[in-house]
Amino acid sequence: MRVDAVLAMAGLRADAAEVYVEETDRTVVEFRAGQFRSQETRLERGCGLRVVREGRLGFAASSNDERYDELVDAALEAAGLGGPAGFAFAAQPAPPPVATGHSRVMLYPPRRMAEWGRELCSAMRSRVPEMRLDLTFTRTRREVRIATTGGADAGYERTTFDLHASGLIAGAGSMIWLPEYVNLSDGRPFELEPLCNRLEQTARHSRRRARARTGDQPVIVTALALPALLAPLPGGTSGRHRQKRISPLIGREGERVLADCLSVTDNPHRACSLAAAPFDGEGVATRPVPLFERGAFRGFLYDLDSAADAGVAATGSARREYPTLPAPGFSNLEIAPGTAGLEEALRATGSGLLVCQFVGGGQSNLLAGEVALNAISAYRFERGEITGRVKDAMVTGNVYEMLATVDLVGDEQRDLGRWFLPWLRFPSLRVVARERVAG
Amino acid sequence: MSDSDSRGMRAFLDEVLDGLAVDYADIRVEESERSSVLYRGERLDSIGRSFERGGCLRVFDRGNWVVATFNAIDESLVGLAEDLARQAEELPPRESAPARLGPHEETVRLDPAQDPRTVSLADKRMLIHHYNSILTSTPGIVSTVAQYRDEHRFTVFLSSEGRFLDQERADCGFHVRAVARDGSNIQDYGDGFGKPQGFAALLHREALVERVGKVALDLLRAEPVAAGRYTVIVDPLLAAVFCHEAFGHLAEADHVVDNERLREMMRPGTPFGVEELSIVDDATMPGERGSYRYDDEGVPAGRTELIRQGRLVGLLHDRSSAGQMAAPPTGNGRALSCHFPPVVRMSNTFIEPREADVDEMLDKTERGLYICGSRGGMTELESFTFSAQYAWLVESGRKRRLVRDVTLAGNVFETMSHITDIGDDLVLFGGLGGCGKAGQGPLPVGLGAPHLRISDVVVGGR
Repeated sequence: MRVDAVLAMAGLRADAAEVYVEETDRTVVEFRAGQFRSQETRLERGCGLRVVREGRLGFAASSNDERYDELVDAALEAAGLGGPAGFAFAAQPAPPPVATGHSRVMLYPPRRMAEWGRELCSAMRSRVPEMRLDLTFTRTRREVRIATTGGADAGYERTTFDLHASGLIAGAGSMIWLPEYVNLSDGRPFELEPLCNRLEQTARHSRRRARARTGDQPVIVTALALPALLAPLPGGTSGRHRQKRISPLIGREGERVLADCLSVTDNPHRACSLAAAPFDGEGVATRPVPLFERGAFRGFLYDLDSAADAGVAATGSARREYPTLPAPGFSNLEIAPGTAGLEEALRATGSGLLVCQFVGGGQSNLLAGEVALNAISAYRFERGEITGRVKDAMVTGNVYEMLATVDLVGDEQRDLGRWFLPWLRFPSLRVVARERVAG
Repeated sequence: MSDSDSRGMRAFLDEVLDGLAVDYADIRVEESERSSVLYRGERLDSIGRSFERGGCLRVFDRGNWVVATFNAIDESLVGLAEDLARQAEELPPRESAPARLGPHEETVRLDPAQDPRTVSLADKRMLIHHYNSILTSTPGIVSTVAQYRDEHRFTVFLSSEGRFLDQERADCGFHVRAVARDGSNIQDYGDGFGKPQGFAALLHREALVERVGKVALDLLRAEPVAAGRYTVIVDPLLAAVFCHEAFGHLAEADHVVDNERLREMMRPGTPFGVEELSIVDDATMPGERGSYRYDDEGVPAGRTELIRQGRLVGLLHDRSSAGQMAAPPTGNGRALSCHFPPVVRMSNTFIEPREADVDEMLDKTERGLYICGSRGGMTELESFTFSAQYAWLVESGRKRRLVRDVTLAGNVFETMSHITDIGDDLVLFGGLGGCGKAGQGPLPVGLGAPHLRISDVVVGGR
């Protein structure tokens, strides 16, 4: 990849230029319904070029090595038509060391992943014969380099490795997916037993049916289900949404927005996470950014553009891939764990709904924080015991209002790759169910 | 791509596949160009072009697929093909074979009027700036997003069967969204237009844009819908999303092929919905967003009946699922771009119209919702959820007041059996977005339906 040549060529014809280059080597091994399905290698490299000429910003991208001359022409053409650039490209960053993966990850050949998959499918067939497992092992090595005419020239390599598992139990008139996840980016060998135990336990709960109750009731949302519920937060905390005056958090810095048992941090320095990075997509050094501390809103995530608009320093939160422009967004989102164990919380709550998977978080009025989530893996509990699976139940409301009521936080922070979350208890959420019960 | 370029590429790809000792292999190489213009509020947020080149090489041997996607189109592909063949040999053999076709050669070229590269970036900017200005000058609209996007693509496909297909494709469209705000009450509404009919088809859409601003403002005065179970009348767009999300994905055979229980549930003849219901996937419809001549596995595009009079009669297949289920391939193996292998995808999927009139549907609804537009949807096999843009509360057969935050959820089998009326007013939609699956999205698809009336639907709101 001729980064220096592109930067030099663009620098000669523009007032300022920034070259962002990504090279990705990804291996994916898939199983479907307990059977090996395919093995895929993805080799991709590409380059994004931003230029400023006469104060205006232009962009072009290419994965075609033979069209780099055109890339510069296209970026300059776009700058001729483009909007004003209200910021300067980054100077050389001085980021702290960040553990962006483990070299051992690259030593596992695809054959080994296929063996792990077969062992897992075989183990689950004997434990839960009615379950069919879909598995996706994904290992990615990504090299990033960014160079600007402002003097930045920095790069890093990140290796990640994870497993998405989903157990399908299909019966007469009923199907349920039981999702699971394991982050293997720290290089440790895959451990079969803990994953099997989790899948087996959820399958056991799913065998019996329980009736959902429409109305306000206690709901415990597990870590696996929380990302769908939290879908409005990336927009709400985005400096770009502040810039466009469409975030409901504008003017609320310092105000208690969430329950005081909730502390939420965007942490690109989380070791061996999927989004660990020493600098962001614009070459600005990253840092952990507290978003909510004991429920109080601390501030927005900024890229260079939205930071310039707000008159603050960028938080190193520009996310991008080579074909797209940078925009502020989450890296790894952490919610600090509490002290409560799940069994103890179920007992203390008495009766309610335990939700292990939602779908539909992305389709609501996310700007305002409104969500209506279909709880497709949810369980009724009575007197602290799971009584069975509930079908066709929706949880609805405003996420900010919901999160302001959380009264119990789980003691374990699940590693979901980019989300590091405990379970949360909501003392009263609106649940809409098809099946009604008296009272 | 000129004829000589095409011949040169054929010779090169022959060299890559030549001599591979495997059961089947194919290679697809693409070269594409995209342009986009994005306004946020009055500000031009981004404008630019991008150039992509790359491909996908697939080897099938002794029941196993091994696949690679790549950027570099050079002699290294010969070594890559040999590597894949070796990797396939190391895998335990399986009883499986993809559907095969005979040799064929064809070149597919667009009408030049469909090629967005013939329009300058300045003209594209001017058009979307014009539409955005309509919204930014509307009192009460605090923010907008207005986007133009197009793509032009050459795809060359060669299989070890001797199929060589050289296709040109294009797509362009726009989408506008208006945000209205009254204190902490923030409401938005969006709409757009996109079909592979060339840039000229995007002109003169001012009425669509003006309506976007009006609905966003109207929603400020709407109350959240009360959560509960309703009889609903859904407009053609939402009915089309329902058809796509709730049923269409279920009919993609890759979900079904390896699971004997799902195969049983999705066997031909299974009752599916009411007797009046018929659903079709048709990639051969001229000028629709999900249309193409050949899919990304070199299979001719087809028309597949999925439900005929309330009974399941077909599934959508790629070569792999068709081979495993001993079914003919339906030409639904599609890839988002050169960076992805093909998977089973819909093309233009729609509910066939019947006789019902929407006014009659309203007349016989004592209490319910008339639900309009779509914010998108998701499905997990039988469970679906999708959100509307807004709805009207219906009482005694009349639309009484506007409500918002309307999300529908449920079980597809049950919901399709609760359809009471199918309208006579089929509309086919395109747009700027598309379908997402297996990390590949948005893939251009067409979707369509007439008005539907459905009883006992779970609606989430407040």
